[in-house]
Amino acid sequence: MDLFDYSLFISAIRMVSPILLAALGGALCARVGIFNVGLEGLILAGAFSAIVGNHYSGSVFVAVLSGAAGAVLVSLLFGIVTIKFKANAIVAGIAVNFLVLGLTTFLLRALFDVKGAYYDKNMEGLPKWDIPLIEHIPVIGKLISGHSPLVYIAFLAAILLYVYLYRTVAGFRLLAVGKNLSASKSMGLKVTAIQYGAVLMSGVLCGLAGAQLSLGQVTMFTEGMTAGRGFIALVAMMLGQSHPIGILGSSMLFGLMDALSVRLQGFSVPTQFTAMLPYLITIIAMFFLKDKGSDSQLSGQQSTR
Amino acid sequence: MKLQRILQQSFKSLAQPLLAVLIGILTGALAISFIGESVWDTYKVMWNGAFGSFYFVTATLARATPIIFIGVGLALAFRAGVFNLGAEGQMVLGAVAAALAALFIPGPGIVKILSALAAGILAGGLWALLAAWMEARFKIQLLISTLLLNYVAVLFAGYLVAQPFQDKTGSAALAQTSMLGQAAWLPKLFPGMSLHFGFIMAIICAIILYFILRFTSAGYEVRMLGHNPFFAEYGGINKTKVLFVSMFFSGGIAGLAGTAEVLGSQYRYVEGALTVPGYAWTGLMAALLANSNPLGTAVAAILLAALQTGAMGMERNTEVPLEIASVIQGVLILFISAKFTFNWWNLRKKAGAANGSV
Repeated sequence: MDLFDYSLFISAIRMVSPILLAALGGALCARVGIFNVGLEGLILAGAFSAIVGNHYSGSVFVAVLSGAAGAVLVSLLFGIVTIKFKANAIVAGIAVNFLVLGLTTFLLRALFDVKGAYYDKNMEGLPKWDIPLIEHIPVIGKLISGHSPLVYIAFLAAILLYVYLYRTVAGFRLLAVGKNLSASKSMGLKVTAIQYGAVLMSGVLCGLAGAQLSLGQVTMFTEGMTAGRGFIALVAMMLGQSHPIGILGSSMLFGLMDALSVRLQGFSVPTQFTAMLPYLITIIAMFFLKDKGSDSQLSGQQSTR
Repeated sequence: MKLQRILQQSFKSLAQPLLAVLIGILTGALAISFIGESVWDTYKVMWNGAFGSFYFVTATLARATPIIFIGVGLALAFRAGVFNLGAEGQMVLGAVAAALAALFIPGPGIVKILSALAAGILAGGLWALLAAWMEARFKIQLLISTLLLNYVAVLFAGYLVAQPFQDKTGSAALAQTSMLGQAAWLPKLFPGMSLHFGFIMAIICAIILYFILRFTSAGYEVRMLGHNPFFAEYGGINKTKVLFVSMFFSGGIAGLAGTAEVLGSQYRYVEGALTVPGYAWTGLMAALLANSNPLGTAVAAILLAALQTGAMGMERNTEVPLEIASVIQGVLILFISAKFTFNWWNLRKKAGAANGSV
């Protein structure tokens, strides 16, 4: 078995998409001054409601929609608590993670009467799209073609978000809210509406990430199946400086490492060190990055009171 | 008049937690009835699982031990206005350092225990200090760096017990160190119960910290920095020094949480034994629930532990799954963190009055 081969990169691209989607969602929140630690919970909510939608409707399309809807509901709760009731976003995010982990496991028992994991062989997973012309290009073809639609949506979302943030007026307004809340308010921007919009959109993106997790590879839901991906996404967001293209790069890097650490299990390299790499790289990068997150509202010591 | 004001104030500060607890209980009731069980009976079983007999009370207190340590340590950092999210990594490094010290430092039991305690505090404290140094020297946000360092610490500890220090004696190759010699064990408080001496240490720790914060000048500096960093600096408080000291002890106490678990309950470092039950996050919640008052944090930690042991009892005896505890816990903390006290209500009324409409 080779360390680097085709299948490594193909699986890397597959693993990128949930991280990328969630990191973009986190970046949207960060850009309006809300540090969203609840990504993990949002993805898990998406993964679970996607399976629920799949179970009751039998349609993959409805499943993806309900995955997004489930995560949006949770993000709405998060938004109300942080924006309207001025809760500390970090505390609320941690609470969301606890809440969703408990709720999904609980509902797994209540709805499907199973513990641990729910799997039904009749459930249909996400289709694999073969892109007409590209699939025949020798090397790149196999790499780019044959993924689930959500993988393409993830990459598209990064580009769209870039265009939105840096090429449209609405995007500039959103950035303004994150730069200086009171100044934007005094300019007459609908600050609250923009913040809610960002939080709900991050719910949609995390919901899609969850749907890719539960419907993408094997169609099943397991308790806590996000396994820290939400936090990896958070780290990808930090390393990418909340910039869509930066996040695209950092997510690809982390996806590759994820795939690599699976691969390395076959070699006698301690997997702990490969798993550690994303965090170490991000810490080291923070020494060099200009914007250490101090540019936005996140700055200043977060007092608990 | 004064009494009335005190009553009013204490009502105000208590109203929010009470309301949150109420909402948490209601959510739990909703979930229980959704599954088709009797709400009253289920809650009764849950209560019995946490406090039903002497045995269950001690089990609850044993579970609360690491949570108290973590919560108290975090309370110190929060009081200084430092958002330390790295308790998990600090605890795990403390635990693994303590286990190795107790295994490899020669001498009688008491020497082993003391050196394990020192190793635990040092490992946790220095790990926290690293984040404080990066904040002070390079302006890397502590909030983010502590979160990142958690993973590095947990994975590194996992490596240590999976590779160089793995217990090779057992038949199954589990990721854990060898068992400590019996001399290095912390004594149990009651024979046959899981409650160990670590609980006493945790309570003492909370009391000492309460007095330091309340009555000493160092405590005053810490609180001042948390309340108003600009005023504190203006008043001649060395911000960096307070940051370093409070982070070192915050991490050190988190390290003690791991140490006490290793010496008092597992007698070895087992991978996942500290991270899977979510002690660090629960401790964070306890500190927040109590508004970073060390004594209140200890009480909140015991209550949260009771919620968890109660839920375990409930799962043994009813059809309701254990996870209801994390649902209740999540709702509880969500509504406690929300600042929708009656201030919000009053503000709206005031705003209405100002506009001339009620």
